[in-house]
Amino acid sequence: MEIIKFLGKGPGFWVLLTVLTVIFLSIVLIILKSSKKQFAGRLIIPVFFMEFAIFFGILALGFPDRGDEVGPGVVPLLWIIGIFGFGIILLIRGVIGHEKEDPTWGRIGKVSIFIALTILYLLIMQIIGYYLATTIYLISGMYYLAYRDWKVMISISAGWILFSYFAFYRLLYVPLPKGLLIEWIFG
Amino acid sequence: MVKELLSNLFEGFGYLAGIGPIIAIVAGVILGILAGAMPGLSPSMGVALLVPFTYGMSPQIALILLVSIYIAANYGGSITAVTINTPGTPSAVVTSFDGYPLTQQGKAGIGLGISLVSSTVGGIMGTIILIFFSVPLARMAVRLHPAEYFALAIFGLTTVASLGGKNWPKAFLAAMLGLLINTIGIDPISGVKRFTFGTYRLFDGFALIPALIGLFALSEVFTRIEEFKLEKGEETKYEKTQWPTFLDYWKLKITIVRSSILGTLIGIFPGAGATIAAFLSYDLAKKFSKKPETFGKGNPKGVAAAEAANSSSVGGALVPLLALGIPESASTAVLVGALMIHDLVPGPMLFVERPDIIYSLFAALLIANIVMLGLGLFGARLWVKVTVIPKKVLMPAILAISIIGSFAVHYSFFDVATCIGFGIAGWILKKYGYPGAPIVLGMVLGKLAETNFRRAVIMGGYDIFFTRPVSLILLVLALLSFGVPLYQTYKANKREKAGI
Repeated sequence: MEIIKFLGKGPGFWVLLTVLTVIFLSIVLIILKSSKKQFAGRLIIPVFFMEFAIFFGILALGFPDRGDEVGPGVVPLLWIIGIFGFGIILLIRGVIGHEKEDPTWGRIGKVSIFIALTILYLLIMQIIGYYLATTIYLISGMYYLAYRDWKVMISISAGWILFSYFAFYRLLYVPLPKGLLIEWIFG
Repeated sequence: MVKELLSNLFEGFGYLAGIGPIIAIVAGVILGILAGAMPGLSPSMGVALLVPFTYGMSPQIALILLVSIYIAANYGGSITAVTINTPGTPSAVVTSFDGYPLTQQGKAGIGLGISLVSSTVGGIMGTIILIFFSVPLARMAVRLHPAEYFALAIFGLTTVASLGGKNWPKAFLAAMLGLLINTIGIDPISGVKRFTFGTYRLFDGFALIPALIGLFALSEVFTRIEEFKLEKGEETKYEKTQWPTFLDYWKLKITIVRSSILGTLIGIFPGAGATIAAFLSYDLAKKFSKKPETFGKGNPKGVAAAEAANSSSVGGALVPLLALGIPESASTAVLVGALMIHDLVPGPMLFVERPDIIYSLFAALLIANIVMLGLGLFGARLWVKVTVIPKKVLMPAILAISIIGSFAVHYSFFDVATCIGFGIAGWILKKYGYPGAPIVLGMVLGKLAETNFRRAVIMGGYDIFFTRPVSLILLVLALLSFGVPLYQTYKANKREKAGI
């Protein structure tokens, strides 16, 4: 139990995380170099969930026990055992060929840029506020997806801004971010 | 007894004869549909937001307005679930399983029409059950032991077996993940911080609404962009959508009636509610179907089962509130607050002291459903237009709706980050055949399962689940419900391999 307590917090936590990451990356490398590389995704995901279960399981075992019949770690451990068990089943299915080959990925670059654009939008929102950031985001999002009708782009953005202002800000009192810059300029 | 009840009900209709109650019902239904359709606003939030506006109203009008919102919000969630795969409410997740595939097939009108009529019939049936059986049903619900509530949660979890089909291990892994996610935060019994990693934002765990918006709406947007199915002309096939005929509705009568009864019964149980009712009814409809393989691919019965169940659960949730004064869901807790503002204490005495309130409420519930049908039929022609919006415009718009919807839950960017995180995870997992719905089911059932499991063990040890008859029956049913679809999948696989 001492080792569990050590791994659950402080430097032990980082040791655990590092060890599990190294093991995971090694397994990924082995899978990618093996004859099963066309099933790589089908095998890597169960491995990830099994390691995830081990990580959370160690943390759950370290929860303080106050002498209760069912402590705070009992139920999480039940679900963790389930994740580990189904992870094993899926791994075996992948190894013995019960799974289809990995699906082909489409335009991951396009999705990644779109996600980055969304994260940028959230960051910019804190500076220039919800209304301006959303207008820019909607127009640039449509432009990025190759839509070029400027009238529609501007009217959709303006319509959404008006709707959010009246429905969320005025009616529902949602405090939409005003933005640091706008607050600094207008007080 | 029945005679007295009916005469009181007629008097209840009499109270509604006036411009004030009718305006309250119509306004409540419109606001409820809008609240339900907007991801991030749950029915309980819709009701809560309008409570301050009822301070100056008479108790009857206030209550009529609030229950009209409550009813319509449950239907409203299905509109965005069917048209853009963005469930407005947690229970509408189940509606999207078949509703969105119908839209993809150019049959958005079928999905919207069936969801509306099923919601209306479900809502009316739930109200009728509430009127006639509220007292005995409420007494039964409060007598249930935590062991039985745990068994009920496990029974709810077994729907994963049929949701997953051939991918059942993936569906179960996803459900377990949802259950584990639900344990993040401060333990409600011991107060121990679990998996919070020192982040105070995780003390309450992950909010359900941002998670489900991410899993359903954002993952769909990412998939669309990845496959780049945004080319010109794709949207034109949605322009002339079909609408259900009377015969189409008639074919669904058994599904709707069965789901309405089940939805009402599930609605009575604390912590269960519309989402579990929708999952269980969907599962039952699939099990009773001669073509279970068509579920998830645009089967109208899937939409009907989910919507009838979630709308009828409103009547169920009102049973313990009105008969015993016990609010067993977030929405009914808000209604208690609204009643108390007007010096009314819900419970059996309200039937004796203020029958006018009770029976006008029953009458309003019935009329609100009919108003919802009328407004829904009118509105459906507008909502279906969403499907003709070019996808290149719709995708950024869905992201903007998702972000404001997630932010509105707790006014927190952490929830927005949660939504995006779940969206990315849902997109990758979906690609490899891991469904998102079991994660939501796990997150919904987690609290009900855990708290009752621990309470039951504290009260009677681990064997209590097998010594109480109701608990044992539910667990056996759960085992059958789990085992039968797996056996059927095994047999189907065997037949496939043999080339039969």
